[in-house]
Amino acid sequence: MRYLLYRLRRLAIVLAAVTFVTFLLVNVLPGDVAYEMAGMDSSEEEVQEIREELGLDRPVVIRYFEWVGGVFVGDWGTSFISSEDVWHAVTDRFPVSFELMLLAQILALAMAIPAGMASAFRPNGRADRIIGALAFASVSMPSFMTAILLIFVFALGLGWLPATGYEPLSSGLWANLKPMILPALSLALVEWTILMRTLRVEMISVLQENYIALARAKGMSNLRILWVHALRPSSFSMITLLGLQVARLLGGTIIIEQIFGIPGVGRLLIHAVYTRDFVVIQGCVTFFALAFVTANFLVDIAYAWLDPRVRTRGSHG
Amino acid sequence: MADVTSSGNADKDDGKPQIDRNALAIAMHRKSRSFGLYFWIPMIWLIIVAVACVFAPLWGLPPADEIDWAYIQSPPVEGHPLGTDNLGRDLLSRIIYGGRVSLTVGFAAPFIGVGLGLILGMIAGYYRGWADEVIGIMIDAWLAIPGLVILLLFSVVFGGSLFMVCLSLGLLFIPTAARITRAATLNYAGREFVLAAKAMGASDFRILRKEVFPNIIWPLIAFVLIDIPIAIVIEGALSFLGLSVKAPTPSWGGIIAEGREVLSTSPHIALYPTLVMFLTVLCFNLVGDAIRRRLADVREGAI
Amino acid sequence: MGEIILDVRNQRTAFATARGMLNAVDGVSFTLERGKTLGVVGESGSGKSVLSRSVMRLLPGNSVVPSDSKVILNGKDLTRLSETELRRLRGPEMAIVFQDPMTSLNPVLSIGKQIMEVLMFHMGMKKGPAKEKAVELLRAVGLPQPDVRVNQYPHQLSGGMRQRVAIAIAIACEPDLLIADEPTTALDVTVQAEILDLLQRMVKERNMAMILITHDMGVVAGRCDEVAVMYAGRIVEKAPVRELFNNTRMPYTAALLSSIPKVTDPPHRKLDAIEGRPPDLINPPQGCPFAPRCKFAGPECEEQVPPLEGPGAHQYACVKPLGEEVAA
Ligand SMILES: Nc1ncnc2c1ncn2[C@@H]1O[C@H](COP(=O)(O)OP(=O)(O)O)[C@@H](O)[C@H]1O
Ligand SMILES: [Mg+2]
Repeated sequence: MRYLLYRLRRLAIVLAAVTFVTFLLVNVLPGDVAYEMAGMDSSEEEVQEIREELGLDRPVVIRYFEWVGGVFVGDWGTSFISSEDVWHAVTDRFPVSFELMLLAQILALAMAIPAGMASAFRPNGRADRIIGALAFASVSMPSFMTAILLIFVFALGLGWLPATGYEPLSSGLWANLKPMILPALSLALVEWTILMRTLRVEMISVLQENYIALARAKGMSNLRILWVHALRPSSFSMITLLGLQVARLLGGTIIIEQIFGIPGVGRLLIHAVYTRDFVVIQGCVTFFALAFVTANFLVDIAYAWLDPRVRTRGSHG
Repeated sequence: MADVTSSGNADKDDGKPQIDRNALAIAMHRKSRSFGLYFWIPMIWLIIVAVACVFAPLWGLPPADEIDWAYIQSPPVEGHPLGTDNLGRDLLSRIIYGGRVSLTVGFAAPFIGVGLGLILGMIAGYYRGWADEVIGIMIDAWLAIPGLVILLLFSVVFGGSLFMVCLSLGLLFIPTAARITRAATLNYAGREFVLAAKAMGASDFRILRKEVFPNIIWPLIAFVLIDIPIAIVIEGALSFLGLSVKAPTPSWGGIIAEGREVLSTSPHIALYPTLVMFLTVLCFNLVGDAIRRRLADVREGAI
Repeated sequence: MGEIILDVRNQRTAFATARGMLNAVDGVSFTLERGKTLGVVGESGSGKSVLSRSVMRLLPGNSVVPSDSKVILNGKDLTRLSETELRRLRGPEMAIVFQDPMTSLNPVLSIGKQIMEVLMFHMGMKKGPAKEKAVELLRAVGLPQPDVRVNQYPHQLSGGMRQRVAIAIAIACEPDLLIADEPTTALDVTVQAEILDLLQRMVKERNMAMILITHDMGVVAGRCDEVAVMYAGRIVEKAPVRELFNNTRMPYTAALLSSIPKVTDPPHRKLDAIEGRPPDLINPPQGCPFAPRCKFAGPECEEQVPPLEGPGAHQYACVKPLGEEVAA
């Protein structure tokens, strides 16, 4: 319990630090919004006027605290460029990014778990070597390259899946999933390797455990031993990693959403970067940091499910 | 070394073949640890790439931004061995000049990041207390933002010069390097030889430099080796988004992004740089892995 | 003569290691009848566990077993069976209880699940009846509140209770052969006797055959019919339990016997370990492997490995057996 409080305090400080530094960066460094808004050939007075209008002439610390106050009541500011409410802009697009990340993680796990098991079953065996080589090739292939190749083969070459686009869930599950497959796969093909390696290492040691020997002595099949007896005790590091990976995955969605024309938070951010829409950038970064922190809390909960020693702590010891 | 071939059918009651058998085991062990083809083949590719990029002006290629009006978006032809892009610029030349950006960033960024991480980690691990706490929070905060987002922020604020790209990319490598250094410093700062040096009145800086630094440099070098291909990949992503060095300076990610627009009609524009980049990153990974194993071997489990 | 359950003939098990071949079990033969218990005693490292795993055919990948080694269980030669066929025998025909109950139960599965899966896989039971049977088994092994315990996880049970669960798992499918590999070594002295009594009762009630492995001569005394003493991968003396205790022939056995803690000893006294160390199994010494540590050894002991032989049921592998000094 004390540890949990410590973690919470630390996470709060982290969030404050992230938002403050972001705020500083977008507000005090060169390339002031007011210049952008005033246009290329505007006078210093015009710029100053806009500044006052936006309240940019006041000290940055005060503005930061105002902004933080707003964040708690859902007022994340308004885009200088599209006049869109930032909170709505982010939350409207988040489900799309979330779906993409979720699909990517599911695909990555679907590749990593069987591959990790096959590798761990006979370390240095043939399967292990082949999977290891594939993983090596896979990490050497950033997601944007994978995306290009996937588009080239499955969209342009075979024509099985669309190269770009997004359909909301309301137009049907398959219609929604179809354009998501290639983007999710592009992300998953990078992410699976690290999950696989982590699972492999942990499972190799779990397979040496006495309870696995007992499961063999009980006449259980290899498949059952791997899936039922070894997988859960082997997946603790992998689950931690899933939480940490959220940061990488969020980064990955930015580029993948851009390539596949998916209207998610990443695309919002990139667009804001291109147009120097600082309020939106600030909102997106805050949102990403929040998402990361939340994901890592979910990981703690996943632990409890995986390990009865954590789950039943109340009833014993 | 003993006669290795005769040891296969060694008689176990005889003393001498035992020694042979051990010699065989040792020889096999050595062999498995020396640099093999998995090191040399990738190394050759990396040398080719490095030479091609470093001496780019010597190869008599057309300048990377020269437009050949006769060949716009052309497949490989005489004079343009890899064809031209959608503006009629020679693809081979662009890939080679683009490689200069990738290699510069690939080497500079990890050194910057690991250097800064080293300093922060040593401070945190040596002085502990509030310095440790503050640095810990900074690192946590750093890790809570996706790396690409940090880079986007920097590119917006500081613009896209090669130096800024190296610097901001280098910042990404601080957290892990700092953590490794901190752990190692904690470990060494309590050892007898450091305490002895302290007792003899050595300054903190001297202790860090003379006693702690030599002990953590190897893990960090291994770390730099892992980071090189990562830096190349991230620079690729950044330039793919058009947020690395400014056009018309070519970069691999940028060429791939341009090629993506015409992927259906001229796939070669995106696929050649993709292939080159993939091979280069793969080879860096393979070479780094081999060297890392060697280092771990020489220093027995220090990594 | 009762029905012969297990017949082990010339079992050899070697491991390929970095230093060379390690002969962990080196030509072991014995038979076991229904309802009987064979005690296997030996110092740590003498090959007891490897022998038990050789019988179960549960050996690691670096093991080598020559083709003339045979393990015949209920008339079936296990060395000729495929992995799938063996799997069908593990549980219904042979089962094992491991030494350390702290690590031999899966921490993430409830104990009920761990019993039920044997019943469901081997007996084709459905979930409901399997659970009822699991509760019944837990009751049979003397676990208090079996209907509550069945849903608990191993970490919620004490060591002794876990070993009871392990026994419940082992007897779930009524095996003909039960191997208990040092079942009480990791337990408190107070529960050791309880667990041994439980095992003995289960063997009687279900008319099984048991191999009781231990390094403690005291354990085999009242609980076995026959005892095999192992040293360096070989059986060095084998006899009905009474005969072995009353008429010990092999100096190694005598040394083991003298290391039994006596009632008069202060509690927790460290056992007298036998002086010297067991031989290197990769480069074993010439002749009798015990000779370098043996008080009675003479030059003749180092000539060759003595074979296991003797009159009737009492066999021993010794050139200068005890009780024959006068003759010698
Ligand atoms: N997988 C293995 N690889 C190599 N040697 C092993 C292996 N398993 C056991 N051994 C060796 O076999 C010998 C007998 O071990 P074991 O049967 O466990 O002894 P114990 O009588 O204490 O049960 C020991 O010397 C041990 O080191
Ligand atoms: Mg043992």
